[in-house]
Amino acid sequence: MSAMQFGIFSVGDITPDPTTGRTPTEHERIMATVAIAEKAEEVGLDVFATGEHHNPPFVCSSPTTLLGFLAARTNRLVFSTSTTLITTNDPVKIAEDFSVLQHLSGGRVDVMLGRGNTGPVYPWFGEDIRQAVPLTVEKYDLLRRLWREEVVDWEGKFRTPLHGFTLAPRPLDGVPPFVWHGSIRTPEIAELAAFHGDGFFANHIFWPGSHTERMVQFYRRRFEHYGHGTAAQAIVGLGGQVFMRRNSQDAVTEFRPYFDVAPVYGHGPSLEEFTAQTPLTVGSPQQVVEKTLGFREYVGDYQRQLFLVDHAGLPLKTVLEQLDLLGEVVAELRVEMDKDRPAEVPDAPTHEARVAAKESAA
Amino acid sequence: MTQLTVVSGGLREPSSTRLLADRLAASATRHLSAQGLSVTTRMVELRPLARSIADAMTLGFANAELEEAFETVASADGLIAVTPAFNASYGGLFKSFFDVLPEESLTDMPVLIGATGGTERHSLVLEHALRPLFSYLRAVVAPTGVYAATEDFGVTSDQPPLDDRVDRAGADYARLLSSCGQRVRRSAFDEEAARMERLLNP
Repeated sequence: MSAMQFGIFSVGDITPDPTTGRTPTEHERIMATVAIAEKAEEVGLDVFATGEHHNPPFVCSSPTTLLGFLAARTNRLVFSTSTTLITTNDPVKIAEDFSVLQHLSGGRVDVMLGRGNTGPVYPWFGEDIRQAVPLTVEKYDLLRRLWREEVVDWEGKFRTPLHGFTLAPRPLDGVPPFVWHGSIRTPEIAELAAFHGDGFFANHIFWPGSHTERMVQFYRRRFEHYGHGTAAQAIVGLGGQVFMRRNSQDAVTEFRPYFDVAPVYGHGPSLEEFTAQTPLTVGSPQQVVEKTLGFREYVGDYQRQLFLVDHAGLPLKTVLEQLDLLGEVVAELRVEMDKDRPAEVPDAPTHEARVAAKESAA
Repeated sequence: MTQLTVVSGGLREPSSTRLLADRLAASATRHLSAQGLSVTTRMVELRPLARSIADAMTLGFANAELEEAFETVASADGLIAVTPAFNASYGGLFKSFFDVLPEESLTDMPVLIGATGGTERHSLVLEHALRPLFSYLRAVVAPTGVYAATEDFGVTSDQPPLDDRVDRAGADYARLLSSCGQRVRRSAFDEEAARMERLLNP
């Protein structure tokens, strides 16, 4: 493995294929997700991350169930989330689910926490969206303690108190999953990640690079401020999204009908305008390599790059073809990203490295 | 140096909304200059930004051109905002611009409001539509706004001429702007980050 991790993240949406009008069933979509994750390992990617949503048209309400199944069917792939809702899930349940997943997968798991962007999820789970920020701070504080302290005595505002509570099972090798904090828009999450010395994942894909640059540089400054290391040692992940064909014009022609009606950016700017303003790359594998290498110019050398490939209603066959090409792209990115990488920039965090660090510190 | 930004939501070319905006800007400049201030004005026409505004609404971010307009507004010392009256309110494009403008852009901003319409019967649009919009955005709205109906641009005898109303609005606005003092620009980004810092370090 190189210093950086490369992988894919899935939103888990069911979107009609605009070129055929066909909508996959929930079962088809879930099994397609399995095929996509298996393919990711086959083509040499490092990470598969799933979203968490609690309403149609999404099928990813139970991420650790999916990831547990995937862990059994793979050998090397690291699993993560994009994101796990820290606001509406019970931190005790998050700690339990990810502990079990750690044991089953042999440590091939980390977690990305987020607030979620679907308002009604809060009341569905008995929470108040106006408390989103205090909920995030309090619940994450409890989650950290559950993973780090043998016996937890805890009282807070948003959950029934815990007295004499011990998480079972304990984290694998006594090392909790690495935590990323994912954010689309707000610097609050960057501040939270910096405060705890955790990773910061900038969604990146819906915004111009200038916005991501500001967020990441803010996180790096604050990481240093809180004494976790230099700004260059902060742990940064980025999203990206691509559609590739060998011939770049073929990629544009094939992807345009999907882009034009895509749930997030459809019915707005043209494909050309959107690709000029955001990380979306539609073209040849070489174009994807070049654009992705450019991300370092505004966020610095970073640790994890995840791509969105199963979106906008693309059929499974097409997504698997995308992964074949992405495997080639990543092989080249590994070499190029390692060039001129300063020695002080840490490698992507893995369970093995964290266990080794713990042992050498002991 | 006092920078006035003028936002005009007129849709036609030539536009009576733009005409009113220019006259309000000239009047405000005259009265501010009389107080010894050196004034520059910058114009933001919304019509050429119409597609960018719609895109920002669906995408959640602004393209470079719209970002520049945002900066022109947020960095100003004062704003003059003029819209045509459509269906008993401000025009949709005008409202959309302020809907996508980043939070805190208008906080503490002295604003002079103006509107145009086919008939003087819509003149209260200033009071029931524009004033609450800018109050909500935490701007300081000048008490005197100007509504211009089509016939104001011609000759009428039964009400004060448009020139007089524009002059009075400019004078009132100049007094308001200078008494507001130096505007301190606020940043939603910095304030959100600071709020989180306080939560984490109680």
